[in-house]
Amino acid sequence: MVYDGIVIGLLVGFIRAGWRSGLAALSQIRIRGGIVFPILLAIQLIVVLLENRIPFLATSSGYMFMVVYAAGLCVLWLNRNEKGFWWIFAGVALNFLVMLVNGGQMPVSIDAASVLDHKYVEMLQSGTADAKHVAMTDSTRLPFLGDIIPLTPPYPRQQVISVGDVIMNFGIFIFLQKVMMVYKTSTSFVKTK
Amino acid sequence: MGFAQRLLSNFRQPGNIYLLLLCFAGVALYAATGNLSFHAYTMAQWALIYAMVGAVLILDHYSFYLPPEGNVQSMDSSVYLAAMFVFGGSFALFILLISTAVVLVYNRSIKWWKHFVNFSIYTFMINGADFTFNLLGGKTGELNSDHIYAYILSLSVYFIVNVLLLGYYFLLHKGTIYEFIKNILKDTLFAYLSTLLLSLVLVILIVNNGSLGLFLFLAIGMLLSHAFRQLFNMYNAVSEKANTDQRTGLYSHSYFEEKLDEYIAQAREQALPLSLVMIDLDDFKKYNDAFGHPQGDRLLGFFGQQIKSECEPKEFFAARFGGEEFSIIMPGLTQDKAKAFVDSLRKKINDTPFEGVEIFPHGCVSFSAGILELNKETHDKSQLIDWADQALYAAKAKGKNTVLIYGEDSRLPISLENDIHELEQQLKIFLSKDVYTFKHSKRVYSYAVEMAEVLKLGESDRRLLVLGALIHDIGKLEIPRDILNKKSKLTREEWEIVKKHVLWGKEIVLVTGKFKDLVPLVELHHERYDGAGYPHGYKGEEIPRLARMLCIIDSFDAMTTERPYQETKSFMDALLEIRRCSGSQFDPELADQFIRYMEGKLASSLSDVAVAGSEMADVSPNNGG
Repeated sequence: MVYDGIVIGLLVGFIRAGWRSGLAALSQIRIRGGIVFPILLAIQLIVVLLENRIPFLATSSGYMFMVVYAAGLCVLWLNRNEKGFWWIFAGVALNFLVMLVNGGQMPVSIDAASVLDHKYVEMLQSGTADAKHVAMTDSTRLPFLGDIIPLTPPYPRQQVISVGDVIMNFGIFIFLQKVMMVYKTSTSFVKTK
Repeated sequence: MGFAQRLLSNFRQPGNIYLLLLCFAGVALYAATGNLSFHAYTMAQWALIYAMVGAVLILDHYSFYLPPEGNVQSMDSSVYLAAMFVFGGSFALFILLISTAVVLVYNRSIKWWKHFVNFSIYTFMINGADFTFNLLGGKTGELNSDHIYAYILSLSVYFIVNVLLLGYYFLLHKGTIYEFIKNILKDTLFAYLSTLLLSLVLVILIVNNGSLGLFLFLAIGMLLSHAFRQLFNMYNAVSEKANTDQRTGLYSHSYFEEKLDEYIAQAREQALPLSLVMIDLDDFKKYNDAFGHPQGDRLLGFFGQQIKSECEPKEFFAARFGGEEFSIIMPGLTQDKAKAFVDSLRKKINDTPFEGVEIFPHGCVSFSAGILELNKETHDKSQLIDWADQALYAAKAKGKNTVLIYGEDSRLPISLENDIHELEQQLKIFLSKDVYTFKHSKRVYSYAVEMAEVLKLGESDRRLLVLGALIHDIGKLEIPRDILNKKSKLTREEWEIVKKHVLWGKEIVLVTGKFKDLVPLVELHHERYDGAGYPHGYKGEEIPRLARMLCIIDSFDAMTTERPYQETKSFMDALLEIRRCSGSQFDPELADQFIRYMEGKLASSLSDVAVAGSEMADVSPNNGG
């Protein structure tokens, strides 16, 4: 779900700003501690790929994710003055919160997940889907912050997302818009400093 | 301590207490009727709640700006109402709660308590609408055409509660609800009504298509809002263009005329001073001839910018009157303060270098200016401008780069004798047409000369009264002889014709621009102090003082003039009559002065007569010009 906001933001951004000035603007992005994000993403990927092979990772993956999230939140907080980052922070924080109170896993509403592949629902219910998600039950805390929003056609992807995801993607979207429209609103490509 | 005091003084204002009470009542009402538990809804409902909160926030962001005033109308009401109709009042209130919480966090540019006030007002509105809906047997869920009246009335209640709650605040805060009502009727009503009706459309969309319906609605709302915003911006840009002069960036002449009326009305209403200045660039023609028009335009632009930068911080209204003439309206300034301001502006412009100023006599950009303070004598705006213009020309005559106040040695040396002679020539036509009017004018004129002394009028006022008295009935030229010399009672039509002589007189006087300033006396000398006169029915001090004076003299002479087959009042009787009508027909203060003066005069002439032992029949000072 992280990618949806980026993809839509880029698409709309290129349409509004034009190919050339859009690209030029993207090359100028400066994010404090920006290098941290790819690292965090890489850690997540490694965990997901290797958790079946290395038992240690499987047992501690929840906590690993928590640490990744906390680090991400810190970087986001550093950039809170950038337009949109406040929303991203709020979205990630909501996701973090609900995972924190549910043992490091994101609760997924079975009702909502029924739009997805049946296999995945069954795996969820049996607890063998992946390290990040778990089926929602009556004992789930803050269930309304979990993955309860089904994305259905006409939306091109079928997914269940949380309200934090929505807020976060909204933030990414408006951040990208702001960044990509820089040269559209100012006249020169080259900043004179 | 300071904070506490400020808090206390804030609460002394009834509007603030009202808002505080409104907030408490709103929160209490929510506690009683709304839902505070986050566990009351299923996950599917939660998804819908999120969608609706998002819709409210987006619609709030994409509000409609309605021209011309820029009133803001948001379509969020549609969402609340649709939620109420489909899922019930407490569901709608819960959406209100969540969206208020979000707005409270992210929109910190608005004072926090305003969000509470908004929340309370919406709570009342939703509850009122919900109550009505249930009372009339409406059922939640899909739009039911059997209960259409429940829907309509519920929407009406929603609207009425909104207007009442906000209107009462305006009543307390501003003391009048007129502006508020006018705004609603003129600008927002139709947008509001469409928002209300759209809620029913949204009901259909949500029931049939759920989130997709809501999404469609949102998209339409955003696009409409965008279109409205374009329209609003366009309207602003166009009106800005229409109202400003492109060369100087100041306001245009036509907008100046429009605003001057507003400023005058405002100053009269609040009894605040208002000064007007007419400014004319000195020797601009010379500059134009020397450097060409493009450079002359640059000078105008430069001058306009200077005026603008001085006037904007003080909220004065500066306009380009035409050519190289400029005008500034200075609300709240007496003529002395206005002179100080204009003089400082003059100094500043003198001191600012500009290309080619060496050809000016003063060696710098300079201007002459005439200032006029609005007073009771000025009864319309063209006169105001005329007078300021006169002062301006006087300033030019004094060697330019000068600021003069109208009335303070602003008049060019007057040749009263010549003026009198000129007007007398016009009057002579009455000798053949209506000799009574001729003699009447002459007598009124001589009274005016005396009263000018009694009232200790200044030079320019004296001139006005004397000349005005001489010419005041000139409009009777247009009245047919038959009517003028009719011995019997005039018919209604004839009387209407006679009444027109003041307007005809005004036209005749206006033909020669020289005597423009006499117009108020000619036009208004039949106005009555109580407002029952003609032609306009002005009242009290709306009539210039000199016109009020002329009215007394004119009536006095009319009463005491001998005419064949008509009764004539003696001087004493006429004075008694004036005393009787003092306060109704006549200005009491001026009437008093006139009576006292005439009584004194009569007494002295009586004693003279007694000493001389001559006849007492004719004591009228019939001594023409």
